[in-house]
Amino acid sequence: MRVVEMHDIVKDYPLTRALDHVDFALDSGSIHSLLGENGAGKSTLMKILYGMCTPDQGHIQIKGQSERITNPRQAINLGIGMVHQHFMLAPVMTVAENIVVGSEPDTGLLFDSRKAALVVDQLIARYGFCIKANERVSNLSVGEQQRVEILKALYHGAEILILDEPTAVLTPQEVEELFVIMRELRKAGKSIILITHKLKETLAIADTLSVLRDGRMITSGLSIEGVSADDLARMMVGRDVDLEMTNRSKTIGPISLQVRGLTLKGKEKNILSDLSFDLHRNEILGIAGIEGNGQSELIEVLTGLAKAEAIVFQHEGTTLSGDAHDFIQLKIGHVPEDRSTRGLIKEMTVEENLMLGYHRSPRFNRRGFFRPSAVRDFAQRMIKDYTIKTGSSRQRCGSLSGGNQQKVVIARVFSEDPDLIIVAQPTRGVDIGAMHYIHERLFELRDQGKAILLVSADLDEVRRLSDRIAVMYDGRIVSISKPGEYTETQLGLMMTGSSVEGCKDDNQA
Amino acid sequence: MISDFILRMVFPVLISTISMSTPLILAALGGVFSVRGGIMALGLESMMMTGAFCAVLGSYLSGSAWIGVLCGVLGGMLLGLLHGVLCIRYKVNQVISGIGLNLLALATTTLLMQLVWKNRGSSPQVASLEYSGVVSPLFWLTLVLAVVASVVLFRTKFGLRLRMVGEHPQAAASMGIRVHGYKYIGVLVCGALAGLGGTYLSLDHLNMFVRDMTAGRGYIAVVINILARYTPLNTIWCAGIFGFSDAVQIIFQGRGIPPQLVQSLPYVVTLLVLAFGVKHITPPAGVGKSEDD
Repeated sequence: MRVVEMHDIVKDYPLTRALDHVDFALDSGSIHSLLGENGAGKSTLMKILYGMCTPDQGHIQIKGQSERITNPRQAINLGIGMVHQHFMLAPVMTVAENIVVGSEPDTGLLFDSRKAALVVDQLIARYGFCIKANERVSNLSVGEQQRVEILKALYHGAEILILDEPTAVLTPQEVEELFVIMRELRKAGKSIILITHKLKETLAIADTLSVLRDGRMITSGLSIEGVSADDLARMMVGRDVDLEMTNRSKTIGPISLQVRGLTLKGKEKNILSDLSFDLHRNEILGIAGIEGNGQSELIEVLTGLAKAEAIVFQHEGTTLSGDAHDFIQLKIGHVPEDRSTRGLIKEMTVEENLMLGYHRSPRFNRRGFFRPSAVRDFAQRMIKDYTIKTGSSRQRCGSLSGGNQQKVVIARVFSEDPDLIIVAQPTRGVDIGAMHYIHERLFELRDQGKAILLVSADLDEVRRLSDRIAVMYDGRIVSISKPGEYTETQLGLMMTGSSVEGCKDDNQA
Repeated sequence: MISDFILRMVFPVLISTISMSTPLILAALGGVFSVRGGIMALGLESMMMTGAFCAVLGSYLSGSAWIGVLCGVLGGMLLGLLHGVLCIRYKVNQVISGIGLNLLALATTTLLMQLVWKNRGSSPQVASLEYSGVVSPLFWLTLVLAVVASVVLFRTKFGLRLRMVGEHPQAAASMGIRVHGYKYIGVLVCGALAGLGGTYLSLDHLNMFVRDMTAGRGYIAVVINILARYTPLNTIWCAGIFGFSDAVQIIFQGRGIPPQLVQSLPYVVTLLVLAFGVKHITPPAGVGKSEDD
């Protein structure tokens, strides 16, 4: 039975058509993956279903009934629940408060917090979660918070669950646990829509799938049987993409960056404790780890943004010191993890952003004044070389798509020909096409003899690109290994601080 | 000797503390509702001042102090509504809106005094609240309001939703809660309470309106609001600290201590509280945010 049918949905935004005559259907009791790149319109389509935005055209049927959903309350009443990518939870309030808000148990005028906690505890017990109803949400891990979100939808009577990029913030173990929960929900008769751009997950969990590309439905309601990742990638991107592309370094060069005993003290405990590693030329050293285990601080230390104590902290034999500008002068390039806070100034033009940090170079200046023609020529060349999609080099950088913004950062850093490149989250919020491109550039630079330190929360990315993988946990490097030495699960376990030796055998058995 | 000391010093200071803290409690209570709903309460000064003015105007025109009180509350609500429209409907920066309204209220009340009473310094004396006993009935009402506010905020569905709106407007919106409606209620309640606080100044403490009557009490109420961690019951003792320093200032005036030094006491206390008392207090996470960013 079809629980959701969306017909001929059109949604226009200024200058772009987000959804172009889209049809979508969801079968009862199934897990349906809605695939597409960033900006393909997945979230918009689901926001329409959840009443958070209204379509310009088209109509929706829920369980065969024609409905006009204009706000989330209506959607909730129709049995639709949504787990948002950015959790919709107030951290200082309790689990129970966050779950019941909107239809609270009451005793006349007053809110019955005891009954709320009771009901929520029952719900938690039914799904076997380890959460307490009276716990503050801020004390929960990301995975637990997600469960609170799911419980919230269930509490409000959701039969149809929309999960928006639920795995983006989870460790591999948590993803597995989420899948277990999803299968259980399916068994309980719920219908689930999984919004994702990850092919592997779609193949692992979905029954059926739909693919959106540039606001058009490429395929709808396709059964998962016999579909391969390459097929999906082709549908998503519109051309063939080699997803498994890896390219290990053939030769490892001399040591470029040498670090011994690097320690960064925090207020209460060490943020980085006693890190030691070498980074060679012709090598990509990948740093895997759950966010918040010291990666950001390590990047800051390596780019001169923060000062730490170290026994040895040398680049090409010279001890590193000074501020970020000095580090740039020493030919250390930095692709920041958050392009909108450190990578770019969104209000400035593409041109200006392309020389940011290098703007004092004589290439752009003459006697203290910019040379507009030189700046313009350089920008034009970068836009061409890095296929940055922009109207003109004078366009505001914030108006570009995420992938193109990232290309601006990368063009700036790579074009300066650094010896050592610190690359953090290079493909976050970037579509498959741009991701592929960025990865190829990284391989290219490595083969030219650059030393590259890659920090990424995406374990697949680290595994695919790195010549060696370091796992960080709680400010320490807990292991450095060659790719293939540990399985994905083992790396995931190390990321959570568990010892890996015990489970190594389990996995191989 | 000791009874004499109590009679001459402690008792007056106590009465004076109660009298000086009442308007501060009221305004800060208003601030609680505004901030809990996610709207900064920097405009308390304007709501108090407008309340004080409207109360006198109402009493002047009707001859009844209680109609004056009603007008004072309505005047405060008018400013609350204005602040709400600016911050909620037009998403004006809340600091700018609050401070702008404070300047506006000072200028407007002065102008209206000139228009109504042909005197920009003070209004004529009007019917004010009269009661037997040393403590104003408004003080007892204030204590009741603080308890009611606490119950409303932490024990009712309305309070839970208002706090959710203030903490995470998008989350509230995603549960189908009408974020704007709750924010408007928050600023209106804020205006009403701050207006009542202003009314206390002009119709209870005095029986007229004078230019810049609130003299920064609205700003002090903002500090009290923070110090009380945005909870109604804490507001009472936090306001008490400031009321006490004000009372001491009044009692010690003309006793051989340089008056400038004594008069600066409440502001020195404000500074000290700001410098040392409110460091680790975080306001609701959604303050200054709207549900669509």
